[in-house]
Amino acid sequence: MRILLVVLAAALTAGQLPGQALHAVGGASLVTTRVRSQVPAGVDQFTGSAFLGQGALALGRVELSASYLQGTINPDGGTATARDLVEGTVLIGVHALDWLTLETGPHARAYTLAGSTQRWLFWELRARAATAFVGSAAQGYAELWRAIAADANVPEPFDHAQGGEVGMILRLARSPLGCRIGYRIDHAVLGGGTRLETVDGVVIGVGLNWR
Amino acid sequence: MMGGRHLARLCALAWVLGAAPSALSAQSSDSLFATGVRAYKNLEFDLAAWLLRRDLAQLTAAGAPATERAAGLVYLGAADLFRGRRDSAAAVFRRLVQLDPRFRPDRLVFPPEVTSLFDGVRLQTKTVTVELPRDTTIVLGPGAFDIWLIASSFQNVDVTLRYADGAPFRALYAGPIGDSLKVQWDGLDAAGAPPPVNRVVLRVASRAPTGELAGIIQVPLDLRLSRPDTLPWPPAPADAQLLPERARSGAAKRSLLGGLLLSSAVAALPAVVGGTDTPSGPRIAVAGTIGVAGLLGYVLHRPGRPLAANVRANQALRDAWQRRVATTTAENARRRREVRVVVRAGEPTAIQPRGP
Repeated sequence: MRILLVVLAAALTAGQLPGQALHAVGGASLVTTRVRSQVPAGVDQFTGSAFLGQGALALGRVELSASYLQGTINPDGGTATARDLVEGTVLIGVHALDWLTLETGPHARAYTLAGSTQRWLFWELRARAATAFVGSAAQGYAELWRAIAADANVPEPFDHAQGGEVGMILRLARSPLGCRIGYRIDHAVLGGGTRLETVDGVVIGVGLNWR
Repeated sequence: MMGGRHLARLCALAWVLGAAPSALSAQSSDSLFATGVRAYKNLEFDLAAWLLRRDLAQLTAAGAPATERAAGLVYLGAADLFRGRRDSAAAVFRRLVQLDPRFRPDRLVFPPEVTSLFDGVRLQTKTVTVELPRDTTIVLGPGAFDIWLIASSFQNVDVTLRYADGAPFRALYAGPIGDSLKVQWDGLDAAGAPPPVNRVVLRVASRAPTGELAGIIQVPLDLRLSRPDTLPWPPAPADAQLLPERARSGAAKRSLLGGLLLSSAVAALPAVVGGTDTPSGPRIAVAGTIGVAGLLGYVLHRPGRPLAANVRANQALRDAWQRRVATTTAENARRRREVRVVVRAGEPTAIQPRGP
């Protein structure tokens, strides 16, 4: 499946590489995160804040992006202990249309518990649409992803997972600096619905767009 | 001795008249002139006068240049003087002066008797020649058509332009002339208007100090007015070149609908991905922010709002066009003023009230 996706991306970008300029995008954001883990024994819910760093390099229609999130989440009542949250993605994508990007790659997440670390690895297929809607100053974006494979060190077998993010980026005229606000959510279902993992939060950050 | 010399001269004359008439008729004008000059230098003045008169008759019939005829006339005048025919010599010199008022006998060739007689005749003969460009173009008004007058001696001249029927067209000069004089014509008639006819006659009348008419030179002038074409008006900026000066409704609608759609997407995102049990506070905050941005965009891009940058750009375009119109107007006005007249001079003719 992975090989098929790589071949598909290569086919879509064939002939586009020569003569294209490198385009770099980078940003840093503060993310308010809520993690909700629902199992038959009960519900654990954690909230906290995390730092999110993102970057992407584009050459023609091909784009390679990566992100890293790290923060601490605290229990909302209950008996669960505070845990560290670490997340990262490496995605390769292609600009199928001016406003549409298709991406694929691994998305890893880890909760550092007191005694052990719970690791999640999703292989995702993402679609991201972005276009300006207030002149050229405000760009709206909406992103949806679905896991096509996953690996988690939890007892329940993986069922499905999907997520998305919607927000806008405000950019001053002719300035590479942009401000971003968005809402994102991931939802994973395991064991036929016996375990539900939901991570959501608000993203507020700044970014630079070099051309 | 004198009788022998006279006999020899007559023999030569008889040979010229009788023995070699056929040969003479075949001779060229140059050889007649050369033979006449040789006879003059050999003091055979009768023979010289006869040869030079034949030479001049041929040159006149052939329309030879004045310089060629002048050379023969001066020798003929000198020969007549030395033949004792002073009146005839004076008449020949008068004809020479009328032919070329600037002609002066070479004082190294001709003795003082000849040059003093010539000078006396020149002073008494009142004539001028006219020198002007054969074909020239002048701008009416500021331009000048130059007419040079060369006088044989001090005199009064009346320089006028006349219609072909002799009626006065424009008086150019009336007054004395010493050696030479330049008279200018600006191309206009007496009223300061462009000439209404295609042909005028330049007339120079020479007068003796007593006021008596001594001679008239007339030169026909063909005139042709030339009016330069005016430039076409520069085209006004086309509608396609002008930017819209008022905001259209598209951007405002896009802002409003985009904000609404994104806000709705934020609110509905948990339901889309399946995570229904999520707090609504952060989502509503994000959705509200995006909605406010959309509303703000609608206000900023409301339909009919003046677009200052486009107004300035259009005004610059119109100003540039106005400048081009002003430049064209000035250029056309200059071209309308700059009417030119092409003057083509004909052959001068002389009218003498008295014969030489």
